[in-house]
Amino acid sequence: MWKSVAWDAINEGKAMKVTRRDLLVWGAGAAAGLLATPVPWKVLDDVSIWSQNWPWIPQPTRGPVEVKQSFCTLCPKACGLRVRMANGWAVGVAGSSTHPISRGALCPLAFAAHQLNWHPQRLRNVRHGSSLSTWAEAQSAFAKASKEGPVVVIDGYSGRAASSVLETFAGKQGGSYRVVATPELRAFTPYEQWTGIPAASLGYDFENARTIVSFGAPLLDGWGTPGRLTRLWAESGAGLSDPQLRLIQIDSSLSRTAARAWQWIEIREGSESALASGLAGALLEQNLVPAHSPVPSMTLAESSAQAGLSVERIRELARLVVAKTPALVVARDDDPAIAALNVLLGSLGNRGGIVPHSEGVKPYVAAESAIGNARAVLIDASVPWEFVPQVEAEIFRFAAWDGGATKADWLLPAPGFLEDLTDLPTAPGCSAQTYGVAPALVKATIEVQSAAQFLCSLDASLPTTAKIIDSRCEDLFRRREGNLYGQQIAAIDKVSSVQSFKEQLWKGAVWAGEASLSKAFACHLKEWPAQTRPVSAETWATQWKPVVMPPLASKLYQESGLREPPRRNA
Amino acid sequence: MSKWRNSFVFAFGLAVALLLGWVVFPRVLYSQKHQPLDFLHKTHAEKSGVADCAECHTIREDGTFAGLPAVEKCAGCHSERVGESKAEAILVDSYIKPGHDTPWLAYARQPANVWFSHAIHVKRANLSCTECHSTYGESDRVRVYEVNRISGYSRDIWGHSMSRLRRAPHEGMKMSDCEECHKQRNVEVGCLGCHQ
Repeated sequence: MWKSVAWDAINEGKAMKVTRRDLLVWGAGAAAGLLATPVPWKVLDDVSIWSQNWPWIPQPTRGPVEVKQSFCTLCPKACGLRVRMANGWAVGVAGSSTHPISRGALCPLAFAAHQLNWHPQRLRNVRHGSSLSTWAEAQSAFAKASKEGPVVVIDGYSGRAASSVLETFAGKQGGSYRVVATPELRAFTPYEQWTGIPAASLGYDFENARTIVSFGAPLLDGWGTPGRLTRLWAESGAGLSDPQLRLIQIDSSLSRTAARAWQWIEIREGSESALASGLAGALLEQNLVPAHSPVPSMTLAESSAQAGLSVERIRELARLVVAKTPALVVARDDDPAIAALNVLLGSLGNRGGIVPHSEGVKPYVAAESAIGNARAVLIDASVPWEFVPQVEAEIFRFAAWDGGATKADWLLPAPGFLEDLTDLPTAPGCSAQTYGVAPALVKATIEVQSAAQFLCSLDASLPTTAKIIDSRCEDLFRRREGNLYGQQIAAIDKVSSVQSFKEQLWKGAVWAGEASLSKAFACHLKEWPAQTRPVSAETWATQWKPVVMPPLASKLYQESGLREPPRRNA
Repeated sequence: MSKWRNSFVFAFGLAVALLLGWVVFPRVLYSQKHQPLDFLHKTHAEKSGVADCAECHTIREDGTFAGLPAVEKCAGCHSERVGESKAEAILVDSYIKPGHDTPWLAYARQPANVWFSHAIHVKRANLSCTECHSTYGESDRVRVYEVNRISGYSRDIWGHSMSRLRRAPHEGMKMSDCEECHKQRNVEVGCLGCHQ
């Protein structure tokens, strides 16, 4: 039949021309046919691949692959890293299981940290106001400002060798050195006020605690060193009806920590302080703690009304807290009423409580406190972008990434991930002192300077970061305490020389001291702390604002292609 | 009659598109490149006694895959010409004596955003090389290297069949192929397993 139809059509065609309708019908047939071919699907697939290989997308050069041990320097948690290097480029990051605190775990940002140096928001030029400038002009402006008046130096990661440079400069110049503390560090501030022991030298002895009561702190969701508490909870508590370690999460919403905790106590938003007072009252009323402790002014009934828990429920919670000791209370912030619970429970300076891990640490001055009449403010790259000093002064801000609109007269490009030598003091919350060194594994592709380098170039009498790190290594070696966690764990006594100790630290080993469990410290509260303002229900995510993460967290290399490229004949 | 005429014209358009899509398009999409010299796996297996792929395509001690052998490996036997063939002359004169690696065109090179470990697949999963690379190791001729003009990747990644239907088990190295194989073997791997 088709043959006769075709024949008729051809015959008809002799008499008729190709019409517009014919073209449309033909086009419809061709379009239908095209959908039945691989053309649209294959072209779509190929174009998507082609778009991944545009010439401006950075690709590492091929070369020998090696794995180096180092540390994440994005925040003060200082997790151990294994960095895959290809021809001098960091092409992959994984957790280091030999690190005694992070134990192989990393946060999602650290997993893609090697890509951050290529982030579109990377600060690549010195900026003065809205125009481009130079390092020489910035140095000249800062030198002029520091001659005209006091300079305030603000640090976001205190205790480093670089911090020491910043502090020394501020001291010499007659200015002041301030710290923007992490929430974990701020939570120790009440103890610093009551005992005189600096907040930065205190830590939580989670490993020996049997009950942990968290007042909104996201312990299993990025709080402290990722991996420390999540692994501890997985090993000794998760999923058990009567676990060895009890984690009680007091939270106004079913947070991730609340969902995974042994018990979730749901309270009204912002009533943590009131519940802490009520809990103290219940502990004292039932004689569960020594009677000489100060009594909160808030009654159990008032606490119950504010927290949205019945009086009996608060009494029951008090019994639960002391049922398995040592018990440790962790606050999300520096609420003194919550901190006072640890005093009541006798958790200060005792096993399973809050312990001092270091000596010789100076108390920090919070950057949020009044600055006064400063001529200039120098902000280190470790300070969170959102921090804006409340002062009328010329602001010199170092940053590796541009976070958008900010109050800074000068924006100065700082080294990115693993582009600068830095040391890593004890992370906030750790119960034992640790020390590590992260050398500059990656060469910066743009002209960058850290705040410490900038100051050293202005004042040659300042010690360099490298010198301070050397001196710290020597001091640690002389103490002959603790262990060195590298490829193997070795007591420091077994390390033959200070040179060998330094070499191992520079290769990514971490030194860890013993937790100072025997150093009990006195803390007697004369009266219960006054209730602080209600805490807003900020989530952890809104408190912790990291740099923007690139959308594609994937490795930029291929394993079998990382040999030396074939050499062409000249 | 107009109805039959329309049907014929529609069918004609359909046929032209099918012809272009299935016959012309694959020929246009891929360009052909030739390897720098003829390499005969079969001859090496038979005459040199190289029975195991890993003798040349080694997995290093640290678990990384060395890929194509370096020219030093070839120089072990071919430091001087061992035959009269043209390929032998090219190998010795152009690569071994000057010490230049042979610029082989790798048929199975994965895209840059894929992390693939030969060590895990060969040593832990005990997969034989032929499961992904077919019996190419026994071939007596060197294949033409077909490169996709748009993506720049080897045709072996998509597979020879344009429809990807009724492919041989070793044909194709797309992500869906990896997923299918993992599913068959009940091995779970998340996104970060390959896109780390």
